[in-house]
Amino acid sequence: IDGKSSGLGLCGSATMYIKLVSSDGHEFIVKREHALTLGTRKAMLSGPGQLAENKTNEGEIPSCVLSKACTYFTYKFCYTNSSTVIPEFPIAPETALELLMTTTFLDR
Amino acid sequence: SRTGRSEEPLLLAELKPGRPHQFDWKSSCETWSVAFSPDGSWFAWSQGHCIVKLIPWPLEEQFIPKGFEAKSRSSKNDTKGRGSPKEKTLDCGQIVWGLAFSPWPSPPSRKLWARHHPQVPDISCLILATGLNDGQIKIWEVQTGLLLLNLSGHQDVVRDLSFTPSGSLILVSASRDKTLRIWDLNKHGKQIQVLSGHLQWVYCCSISPDCSMLCSAAGEKSVFLWSMRSYTLIRKLEGHQSSVVSCDFSPDSALLVTASYDTNVIMWDPYTGERLRLLHHTQLDPPMDDSDVHISSLRSVCFSPEGLYLATVADDRLLRIWALELKTPIAFAPMTNGLCCTFFPHGGVIATGTRDGHVQFWTAPRVLSSLKHLCRKALRSFLTTYQVLALPIPKKMKEFLTYRTF
Repeated sequence: IDGKSSGLGLCGSATMYIKLVSSDGHEFIVKREHALTLGTRKAMLSGPGQLAENKTNEGEIPSCVLSKACTYFTYKFCYTNSSTVIPEFPIAPETALELLMTTTFLDR
Repeated sequence: SRTGRSEEPLLLAELKPGRPHQFDWKSSCETWSVAFSPDGSWFAWSQGHCIVKLIPWPLEEQFIPKGFEAKSRSSKNDTKGRGSPKEKTLDCGQIVWGLAFSPWPSPPSRKLWARHHPQVPDISCLILATGLNDGQIKIWEVQTGLLLLNLSGHQDVVRDLSFTPSGSLILVSASRDKTLRIWDLNKHGKQIQVLSGHLQWVYCCSISPDCSMLCSAAGEKSVFLWSMRSYTLIRKLEGHQSSVVSCDFSPDSALLVTASYDTNVIMWDPYTGERLRLLHHTQLDPPMDDSDVHISSLRSVCFSPEGLYLATVADDRLLRIWALELKTPIAFAPMTNGLCCTFFPHGGVIATGTRDGHVQFWTAPRVLSSLKHLCRKALRSFLTTYQVLALPIPKKMKEFLTYRTF
């Protein structure tokens, strides 16, 4: 990661991870490639070096919701290019509304 | 976002009935109904000549040609019989019109069942209900093919059947005698209610997945919504121009689709009665004269298990796949004399039945639901439209959650 906040650029580094931090301080490290499947938002795609200037966005999302979003990233990446049967992705009713708001936020 | 590819449904396999032992010209050979058990372990089809075939799912390999390239060769009953010990043949004695599997009974139902049916040792049994020509309903145990109960009450063809998805063993039947009836299988099939109001043949019934609503549709062009709690009429949905013959709820109970001989499928919000979409089935070739006017009459409509697609069967010899947010089909497959269709509960396959007693299995679009849709489905599984509108969320999100936008 060359430190530039270039949004979509895959910089050719072997470990391309981004760190998402929830409002209650949990850190989720996900592959940049997986997070890209959800939509692009410059703020979310910063590497560890950029975290400070983009903290406000992630800081609103609680860990139970953010962890579910991260799980979805992996689920989508896993099953998009395979031919196996796609299993269900269950979402607890109490998480669904906040997750929807987070997703809408992330996706635009 | 979905995979985005609009793959034409490919024919995976076709099953044909063998010659019946006593060839009886009086019985028809149509496959009026096809059904998968809710857990996906069985498939049933009324193959005409009063016979219902029950086969375990997935199909044995001999029926699926390698590579899914071609239709399987004609498979008569005799060649099938040897390789399928678990296959069951139910001789119903008269034409079978409606079929429905129960889900696995939920615990309180199991206890009640054991108390009333001590002679049936396996209290966790899958049940198949069959609706017959003279109004009788026969209840069968799937695993053994044993006839368990005979329900009497209807005065004419029982065209459709629906079990409550909760496993409570409550059965709803829809009949040409213009009534629907509610039966409690925990109590020897006691008839607990008669629902009157339709003016012509009732063609179909469907219970919403959250078990709160019952939809019925009839020849007089109206669609009725009943409460499954009080068994009273909630509202009538008007809009079709001809007999309404098929109905289905979305998996989250938030949408209802109805199909009519008027060539349209209407998508409704069952909580408000609003019409959300009209899916018009146009003929691919323009009609030469008035005789072709009804050629796109609908026969059947069903939702895919994740709630993003619909399959329809129409008289213009096409199976169509529709994506909810679009106004034209995304894929077509030719099928002659189609009568019914249903999705495999875990997705990937659509089963159809035809007038000549055949069933076909087609590939269904492979869907990876967007996270937004998964959230919507989770929320709408327990929130009514009015509850959504009362939430403190932006207007755009309400529109999304109530399926006004996709």
